[in-house]
Amino acid sequence: MLSIRNFSKSYKGGKKAVDSLNLDINSGDIFGFIGHNGAGKTTTIRAIVGVLDFEEGDILIDGVSIKKDPVSCKRITAYIPDNPDLYDHLTGIGYLNFIADIYEVDKDEREKSIVKYAEALELTANLGDSISSYSHGMKQKLAIISALIHKPKLLVLDEPFVGLDPKATLTLRNIMVELCNSGSAIFFSTHVLLVAEKLCNKIGIIKDGRLVAYGPTQEVKGDSSLEDVFMELIETDK
Amino acid sequence: MKKVIRLVGVQLWAILGSMFALGQQKKRKSNSLYLGFAALAILLSGLSFFYAYIAGMGLRVFNSIDLLPTLFMSLTSVILLFTTVYKIKGTLFGFKDYDMVMSLPVSNSQIVASRLILLYSINIVFVLIIMIPMMLAYGILAQPGIQFYVFSILTLFFIPLIPIIIAAIIGTILTYLTMRFRYSNIVYIVFVFLLLIGMMVFPYLLGDSNEALVEISQEINNQVSNIYPMSQYYSKAVIEGDIVSLIIFMLASLLAFSAFSLLLGKVFKRINSVLMTGRYRRKGQTRLKSSKSSSPLKALYKKELKRYFASVVYVMNTGFGVVIMVLGAIALPFIDINTMTGEMNITGAVKDLIPIFVVFCIATSSTTMASISIEGKHFWIAKSLPVSELMIFKSKILVNFTILAPVLFATLLICFTMELPFIDSLLILLLAASFSVFVSIYGLVINLSFPSLIWTNETVIVKQSTSSMISIFTSIGMVAIQYLLIMVTGDMKKSILLFLVLIWVINLILYKRLSTRGIRQFKDINC
Repeated sequence: MLSIRNFSKSYKGGKKAVDSLNLDINSGDIFGFIGHNGAGKTTTIRAIVGVLDFEEGDILIDGVSIKKDPVSCKRITAYIPDNPDLYDHLTGIGYLNFIADIYEVDKDEREKSIVKYAEALELTANLGDSISSYSHGMKQKLAIISALIHKPKLLVLDEPFVGLDPKATLTLRNIMVELCNSGSAIFFSTHVLLVAEKLCNKIGIIKDGRLVAYGPTQEVKGDSSLEDVFMELIETDK
Repeated sequence: MKKVIRLVGVQLWAILGSMFALGQQKKRKSNSLYLGFAALAILLSGLSFFYAYIAGMGLRVFNSIDLLPTLFMSLTSVILLFTTVYKIKGTLFGFKDYDMVMSLPVSNSQIVASRLILLYSINIVFVLIIMIPMMLAYGILAQPGIQFYVFSILTLFFIPLIPIIIAAIIGTILTYLTMRFRYSNIVYIVFVFLLLIGMMVFPYLLGDSNEALVEISQEINNQVSNIYPMSQYYSKAVIEGDIVSLIIFMLASLLAFSAFSLLLGKVFKRINSVLMTGRYRRKGQTRLKSSKSSSPLKALYKKELKRYFASVVYVMNTGFGVVIMVLGAIALPFIDINTMTGEMNITGAVKDLIPIFVVFCIATSSTTMASISIEGKHFWIAKSLPVSELMIFKSKILVNFTILAPVLFATLLICFTMELPFIDSLLILLLAASFSVFVSIYGLVINLSFPSLIWTNETVIVKQSTSSMISIFTSIGMVAIQYLLIMVTGDMKKSILLFLVLIWVINLILYKRLSTRGIRQFKDINC
C-alpha cells in the first residue's frame, strides 16, 4: 500500500532531515514510526501525504507516485497532523461536509460515517458549534472523523493520541484496528512506546533522518521491551 | 510600562515578519522589498507634498494659508478614524495570539495599551507621510518662524491618539453589540459599512458644493472644530504658537489614551472570552440529515466564501469599493448631474470618467491578493486535499468574481442612468468584466509569489503585506493607463478597445503563468 524508495529531504543550509529512507507498508499493517524530536518523522509524514515537496527518491501509494499523480494518491489517503488546525470559521459539521464533498462521498455514506464516528468519539452534540470554540482534543476528534469519512486505504497520523482523553484514545485504537481488519493500512508516529508495542505489527525507528530499525514488531524488539530497544538505539553513537 | 513596550515590540516584529514574509523569502528578494517599500514611502510623501502645495497656493490667494496645517491635520484624523474602525476587531478583539498574551503576568489594561500602541505604530507612519510634506509646503508658502516647526513636530506624534481612541470606542461598541448574533461578523461588517458611509455622506448633507476652495476649507475647518474640538487647540498651538493650547492638545491626547486603556481593561477579557468561546452558540443535537452534498469545486468555493466573510478586515478592505459603487449607482438616478455641475457643463466629461470610476472600484477589490496568505496555519488542509492546485486557484478566483459581480450590475445601472449609447455601455460592461478577471488572477499570481502564512493579525496580510501592496498599486497603475489612453486617444470607445486588447493579452499571460509556475509555487510553499 505504501512504498518509500530512497526518500531524502534537505532543508535550508543543506541539513538532511531524512536520508535515504526505504519502507514498505502493506494492507492490514499498522506501522508505528518512532524517533526522538527532530528525527525526521513529521518530514516523512508530510511528504507521504503530499504536503511537503521533495526531490530525492519516490513515495508510492497503492503503486502510484505521490510526485507524479498526487491527486490520485490523496484520494485514497487520509492525514491527521500533530496539531490539527482546522478552519476556525466553519462549524464542526460544516468542516465534515466540506471534506466529504471534496472526497465526493455520497450523502447517505457520509451521514452514516459521521453518525458512527461522532457518536463513538462523543462529539455529536458539538458538531453544530464553531470550530473556533473547540478545545485541542475536540479538534483532534473532528480531524479523526474527517479522516475516516471516505474510508481511506492509507491512514497517516502524526502523534494521534496527544490531547485525547483516555476514552477517546481507546476508541481511536479500536477504530485503527477495525480499519486495518477491513484492508486499510495505517502509518503513525508516536512517542507512546507502550501503545506502539501493543498496537503495531510493524515498527520503524528513525534517528537523525536515518532508519535504524525496521521490521515486524516482534523482530525489532526481540525479548526486550520496545522502550529498551529504542533507548539503546538512540544512545548508540551519542 | 516596560512590559507594555516589550509586548508592543514582539507584536510589531510579528507584523513586520508578516509584511515582508521574513524567513520565507530569499535575502535578495527581501532587500528588493525593503527598497520597494522605501520608494513607495517617498512617492507617497511626494504626492502629499504636491497636494499640500497646490492646496496651499489656492488658500494663499485668499489670504487663508494658515488654514492649511489644520486642514491637513483634520483630514489625517478623519482618514485615521475611517481606517482604524474596522481594524479594532482583529487587533483589540479576537486576535490570534490572545491566549498567549493573556497568560502572561500583565494586566488587562497593559494588554489593551499594547494593542492600541500597535495601532498607533501602524498609523504614525501614515501621519508622518502626510504631515511632514505638508509642513514643508506650508514652510515654503507661508515662511513661518521656527516655532511652527518645533510645535508641529511636537504635535505630530500626538495626532493619531484621539482618532485611534474614537475608532476603538466605536469598534468596541460594535463588537459588544454584534457578539450576541450568530453571524456576528456579518452584522459587524454591515454596521461598519453603514457607519463609514454615514460619515462620508454627512458632510455633503451640510455643505454647499458650489463654494470656493477657501470657503470650503473654512467650512470644513469650522465643521471639524465643532465635531472635533482638538483641531482648534492644534491650530492655536501650531499657527499662533500658543503654549497652553499645545499642552492641552498633548495632555488631552495622552489622558484619553490612558483612560481608555484602563476602562477597556475592565471589559476586555469578557468581550474576548465571548468571541473566542462562542457563548451564544446553538445548543443540542446537530441535524446531520440536512447536509447537502456539493462538487469539490463548489465545496472549495463555499469554504472560501465563508472564510472571506469571517474576516471583517478582509471584507472592509476589498469590498468597500464595490459597496460605494453600488450605492453610488443606486443614488445616481436621484442626483441631477447638470444642476450639480452648474454652469461648467461637464456632464460629457463626467460620462468619459465612468470607465475610470468603474476600473478604480474594481482595482481596490482584489480578494485573491491575500487568499493564499489568509489560509495561515490551515494551509496544510489545502495541500493535503485530493484536488488539483488549479481547482484551488479557481475557487479563490470565483470568490473574487462573486464579490465583484455587483459591480457589473452597478455599471449597467450607471450607463442606463447616464443615458450612454448602447455600444458605449456594452464596452464599459466588457471593460468591467475583463478588468475583474485581471484583478482576480493577478492578485493570486502575486500572492503565490509573496505568500506569508505566519501571522497573528489579519490586517497585516490584507492591508500591509508585500502581496497586497504590489497587487493594489499595480491595479491602480492599470487605472492610470486607462486614463492615459482616454487622454491620448481623446475618444472613450477607442481607449476602451485598446485597453481591452491590452488587458486580455495580460490576462492570458497571467493565466498561463498561474497554471504553470503558480502550481510550482503553491507546491513550494512550506506549511
